[in-house]
Amino acid sequence: MVRAAIHRLFPAAVIAALTGASLAAVTAPTVKFTDTKLNNGLRVIISEDHVAPVFSVVLVYNVGSRDERIGRTGFAHLFEHMMFKGSDNVGPGEHFYTIFANGGTMNGTTNKERTVYFETMPANQLDAALFLEADRMRSLAIIKENLDNQRNAVQEERRLRLDNQPYGRADEAMDELAFDNFAYKHSVIGSMSDLNAASVEDVAAFFKTYYAPNNAIIAIAGDVNSAATLERVRRHFESIPSQPSPPAVEIGQPAQDKERRLTVDDPLARLARIDIGYRIPSSLSADNDTFDVLTEILAGGRSGRFYEHIVREKQLALSVRAFAGNSRGPRLLGIEATLAPGTALDKLEEAIYSDIDGVKAGPIADAEIEKARNVTRRRFMGSLATSLSLARTMAEDALYYGDPGRINTRWERLSKFSAADVQRVAREYLIPGNRTVVITQPRPAGGAATGGAR
Amino acid sequence: MTPYRRCVPSLAPLIPHVVSVVVLCIVFASISYVGSAFSRTEAPDFVTFVMSGLSRTVNAQDTQSPTQGLVRKGKVPVSNEILKIKLPKLSEATLPNGLRILVLEDHRLPQIAFQLLVPGAGGYLDPADQPGLAGFTATLMREGTPTRTSSQIARELEIMAATLNVSAGSSPEAIVSGSCLSEHAARLIDLAADVLLHPSFPDEEVARFKQRTRGTLAQQRANANFLAAEMFSQAVYGEHPAARIGPTQAALDRLKRDDLVEFHRAHYLPDRAVLAIAGDVSMLQARLVAQAKLGGWAKPAASTAMLVPEPAPVETSKMYFVGRPGSVQTTFIVGSQAIERTSPDYDVLEVMNKIVGGGPMGRLFLHLREEKGYTYGASSALDARQHRGDWSASTNVRTDVTEPALRDLLEELRQIREVPVGDQELADAKRSMIASFALSLESPAQLLNLALTQWRYKLPADYWERYAERVMAVTKEQIQAAARQYLAQDRLQIVVVGDPTRALEPLQKLGPVDVYDTNGQRIDARK
Repeated sequence: MVRAAIHRLFPAAVIAALTGASLAAVTAPTVKFTDTKLNNGLRVIISEDHVAPVFSVVLVYNVGSRDERIGRTGFAHLFEHMMFKGSDNVGPGEHFYTIFANGGTMNGTTNKERTVYFETMPANQLDAALFLEADRMRSLAIIKENLDNQRNAVQEERRLRLDNQPYGRADEAMDELAFDNFAYKHSVIGSMSDLNAASVEDVAAFFKTYYAPNNAIIAIAGDVNSAATLERVRRHFESIPSQPSPPAVEIGQPAQDKERRLTVDDPLARLARIDIGYRIPSSLSADNDTFDVLTEILAGGRSGRFYEHIVREKQLALSVRAFAGNSRGPRLLGIEATLAPGTALDKLEEAIYSDIDGVKAGPIADAEIEKARNVTRRRFMGSLATSLSLARTMAEDALYYGDPGRINTRWERLSKFSAADVQRVAREYLIPGNRTVVITQPRPAGGAATGGAR
Repeated sequence: MTPYRRCVPSLAPLIPHVVSVVVLCIVFASISYVGSAFSRTEAPDFVTFVMSGLSRTVNAQDTQSPTQGLVRKGKVPVSNEILKIKLPKLSEATLPNGLRILVLEDHRLPQIAFQLLVPGAGGYLDPADQPGLAGFTATLMREGTPTRTSSQIARELEIMAATLNVSAGSSPEAIVSGSCLSEHAARLIDLAADVLLHPSFPDEEVARFKQRTRGTLAQQRANANFLAAEMFSQAVYGEHPAARIGPTQAALDRLKRDDLVEFHRAHYLPDRAVLAIAGDVSMLQARLVAQAKLGGWAKPAASTAMLVPEPAPVETSKMYFVGRPGSVQTTFIVGSQAIERTSPDYDVLEVMNKIVGGGPMGRLFLHLREEKGYTYGASSALDARQHRGDWSASTNVRTDVTEPALRDLLEELRQIREVPVGDQELADAKRSMIASFALSLESPAQLLNLALTQWRYKLPADYWERYAERVMAVTKEQIQAAARQYLAQDRLQIVVVGDPTRALEPLQKLGPVDVYDTNGQRIDARK
């Protein structure tokens, strides 16, 4: 009844807006859900809502590239591909074929922190979805032929996303330079040589350790009956044995003492780019929301300070972005700017620091805070808009914060954003000794180069 | 318009088909996001693809198919029923100035999204000597009105966390679109109307835009998929305006404020336009707001007829190569001019496309990726419009398999022409297309797009109600006949982008190749 609950709330929100009442006066909507731990440790979150004849299943495994060891980078993501190559009762390719052939959609995705699998299907296919997910958690087919095939697909993915793209190396170079902790230093996609080194034995060991029910969370949202669905989940999953907990990830690293800097040549790029990363505390820190507000003030849309000053007034860049990813360990507040043709890189870099100094020195306008609040409200709406976004939000919040109901406290949290907090974190973390700068310079390729803009 | 939902690419390269301005860019956490097992490219399989075991009772006999890309054990407990769904009804109204209004009420969340289509203001209407003018006009409409500066517009929108875009790409229509919390709906429509009706095109903003766009045009030439799409559309559409997927530097240099003012005056007219709104709004509210803000949009004295010409048929197959030094992959687009959206062959080609390359179920994906490991994805698409559009297959493969990958891709096209599709494969494709309709009920925007497709192409009122019936009626004979006609060898245009020192020579073994550089300049192929 999630969305119905919000509907009832809405008139109150409108009245509040019309009368100028503060946002805090609005009652926060409540997402109802059940949260159960099976005997084998699998956490099961179910949120029932009959608004459309559709459900989504999301499985989050607590394993990402941060769990990889030296010499096996890219393994968590390569493994994600293996999950589609069959299990005891499901043939290679049959998982995705079955879902699409029955009108559903699915995918999987890996980052440093976790691996997520999901499917959305018409409401009458819940058993099929649970069967498919349970069968591969229980009995993945680990054979060399499948590994070689998906190793190729992943290497093409690396080429498609990184090696054949302008600026493809920049993110990877940034993490390698900015972090001193192996778990976070290497890229998710991994190196070609490490991908080549992955063996069937690696796959089997990884599966046993990390794809155990006690290392996973399943969230189901949409047109389902909560009690009946929990019974079905038990039937499909509860007999899969738990395993000893995976080793804890070492997330510590020595403090950074001075600026780090690197220039990368890029034969595919046509314009220079500057990437700046500031080390900031993990997503679990009390300042997590404040960093989102800070990036919004700096780089949110065309009224953000970077666009207004650097792109529009000074015309030093085509675009400037800022972002802070989710991480339970080290992470960066990243800034990325593409140089406008005919301008100087050092001027662009100076202009970025000048806007950061502007935030530290103040003032921050009320309008900037209001904007950040409204952006957060719309993101919140976005997470409620489909069964998939709701199930993903709840499953990932359960993983990161231990709390699938965190979605219900977001409104309360966002009413607390303050300019003083934004300035405090900017002064503390956005300082020269805490940053890494990666410059990408277009370098014409060999003799066959045909010119073009610089 | 297919009801099939494509996987969303996590980091797919942006191909700037249209010049547009994204007012509010919500940046999703992304620095470490790698991506998905499947991406924007999706695709298909193989000839002798025998599939079986639709139901659990018939599984055992075909546990092996001739391609290693897919093995069906047939044990998954699927329901054989296809859910009957009922699409919600839209309300419709017309303002005195001819503006049509469509409303899809959806009160689940306090937000709205709208699209205002303005036929006659799209890139097809560019003057012959000013390719890109429609797109320039659309983008610059947001850059100031007599009462609001560019910065004021940005601030006003973004404090509401609202979006407002004006775009005019390679099509007959311009699109004004936006979204916001429903408490801000009236403010957003007011702003959109100001931008639509009273753009002032300040000289200073035109100058900034030219400077900025110069860089963007340079940037996109670094992208292999852009270069391939540009060459393919020229190969398939020739002199037709559909051949242009972006503006030229020369047209940008010539751009003057007066041109923008004149294009806007002559092409932004209400009598063929439609305003479609989905979300937390009623028809009554929508009409009141639209009449108040857009009622004064003056109707032209005479109705403006708009003809979209057909592109000239392309009679011969050709191969094009764009040399991109340093490329580590070879990018292919292979396809042909196909059909208009209202063609009686439309449903047949949709089903054929689903089988050949419509997603991970398709033969191209199962063959080129799952069996051969040449690529991260391979897929095909049917693009049918007012005029004859195109069908195309595309993929990116590592450079050293350039030749076998192209041979396999062409072999798939030969197979669909020469070998009837299997019963099970056909049934699966149809089922996928029909059953996925249930998913659109979660998305008001998707439902609105179905309605706009019906409006745009003047399809019958019961078009979507009868969709399942039409798809189910498609036969394997019709598919083969359509493949023979539209995917005939002598119609195919083959576009390849890759490293000139390694990817060209394998192609030249297959036939003559026209060679270009990344700036679109023809290079002598004989040297």
